[in-house]
Amino acid sequence: MALLRPSSRTRRHGAGADGSRMWAWFMLPGTLWMTGFLIASLVLVAVLAVGTTDELGNPRFGFDLAGVRALTDPAYTEVLARSLGYALLTCLICLLIAYPVAYTIALYGGRYKNALIAAIVVPFFANYLVRMYGWSVVLSDDGPVLRALRAIGLADGDTKILNTGPGVVAGLVYGFVVFMIIPLYAALERLDVSLIEAGRDLYGGPVRTFLFVTLPATRQGAAAGLVLVFLPAMGDFVSAQLMGGPDQIMIGNLIQDKFFQGQNWPLGSALTMLLMLVLLIGMFGYLRRTRKDEAEARR
Amino acid sequence: MTLLRPPSATAPARPAVRPRRRRGRADRRPRVLMAVTAVFFALLYLPIGVVALFSFNSRKSLTVFGGFSLRWYHAFAHDDVLLSSLGTSLRISLVATAGSVVLGGALALGLVRCRTRLGSLAGLVMLVPLITPEIVTGVASMLLFKGLGVALSTGTVMLSEITFSISYVTVILRSRVAALNPEVEEAAMDLGATRWQALRLVTLPALLPAVLAAAVLVFALVFDDFVLAYFTTGVDPQPLSVRIYSAIRFGVQPTINAVGTLMLAGSICLIALALFIPRLFGRRGGLDILSGE
Repeated sequence: MALLRPSSRTRRHGAGADGSRMWAWFMLPGTLWMTGFLIASLVLVAVLAVGTTDELGNPRFGFDLAGVRALTDPAYTEVLARSLGYALLTCLICLLIAYPVAYTIALYGGRYKNALIAAIVVPFFANYLVRMYGWSVVLSDDGPVLRALRAIGLADGDTKILNTGPGVVAGLVYGFVVFMIIPLYAALERLDVSLIEAGRDLYGGPVRTFLFVTLPATRQGAAAGLVLVFLPAMGDFVSAQLMGGPDQIMIGNLIQDKFFQGQNWPLGSALTMLLMLVLLIGMFGYLRRTRKDEAEARR
Repeated sequence: MTLLRPPSATAPARPAVRPRRRRGRADRRPRVLMAVTAVFFALLYLPIGVVALFSFNSRKSLTVFGGFSLRWYHAFAHDDVLLSSLGTSLRISLVATAGSVVLGGALALGLVRCRTRLGSLAGLVMLVPLITPEIVTGVASMLLFKGLGVALSTGTVMLSEITFSISYVTVILRSRVAALNPEVEEAAMDLGATRWQALRLVTLPALLPAVLAAAVLVFALVFDDFVLAYFTTGVDPQPLSVRIYSAIRFGVQPTINAVGTLMLAGSICLIALALFIPRLFGRRGGLDILSGE
């Protein structure tokens, strides 16, 4: 980046404005495409959220707050609260899993570091549905996990994972934990090991060293991971469908239902906007946090 | 913390201290950590292993292994619906890859080199798909097509997948473009090349490894994508992942194990390939394309 600066100044003297204009043309098709398809369609969702339906159930534009008002229905607020709870719990569990895993690989992985991280990342980017389907088989009543738990006496014949809330969270964790591991691993890799050793030299126990040295130094990685897990977990509907029952549906399932089975598009759009709003609040909080951190670091 | 900052001050003292500490209490800690990591890896691969194992099951069961057989692969090879879905998915991925690599690559070049207000606006637009959850993108795309009166089909899936993939390509390529030395291009122009020749003969070859890696990765992501395809596809033909979704919703279908195993194997190969393409060209690293750094 630093290399670019001086030469762009020389270019301004020579080919100058002409060059900049050419690069602006390069940006145009992609930006227009995304504005046309994505930004326009998001605006359409917002407009339809206050739209109406005709007698046949087809969406009509207009101004009617029925869809938005329906959101305050306890049936929907309950689903929203549940989705928030599941997503936040997923974030927490992912953090608890990702820290030891990323820490072990970053500090004790040696020359296998890259191979180990690749061994985590590669299957995670493979087909999400097939992975979730396999996970639901593993967690099923006759699956290996429950059988192992029964063998060591941690579960009895009645214990179930599928069709329960913890089952849905287990699905979300399995689906998205990699988004926590990548930023945490990057932060731990950058961490100066001598800091941890210094913590120990100053007679901090492992827990205190972790709390006062490692955790603050990798806070930004953890924050990035929390956002990266929260975004997809909040909008997911596959996990609740495969791992949960009718009592565990999330906001994603509601949206899917309103567009495919229920055919209530204004309500579906209102729910989509609600989901977007929750996520934007989360993003905003994260950005404010990191900006504050950066300001402190600069001081 | 601030007292600990200068590492150079502590570094020389370290070798004397380290052996004692390492053999002390520090040695107990990694064992717990490594156990957690081992369990994590086991659980990570267990579902994939189960799908793969039972795809070779001679029985229909998902819990009892009756013996090795290829009957479900055989069944897949003779299932016209699944085969046509496979073809549809491949076509969608090819078109989406080509489209998004061209649009996203140009966008990456422009974003790095055009530092105007327009450029930062384009950078913001590019971020929108990355922070929007897929279900929102899916709903929005579907509404746009319905609103424009376009019937949902394979074509609408292609258009939506391109929209979604542009950002990935741009994120992957942007850092590579920024790492290029523009003076090489300028030298080419000093030697008589036109701007286009410099771009074609100097810049693009230098970007080729990153472009290939981005293309392979996007191909795999689009091929595996389910949510966006689910919302924007027509009734027939449907992409493979949408078919798999309807199949696993309605009970056990061992053929899906075979299809799933093939898909997992295929995308694992592709993603591993994407990670190692830069290395084939003699570049260091490979994992960095995932973080975009």
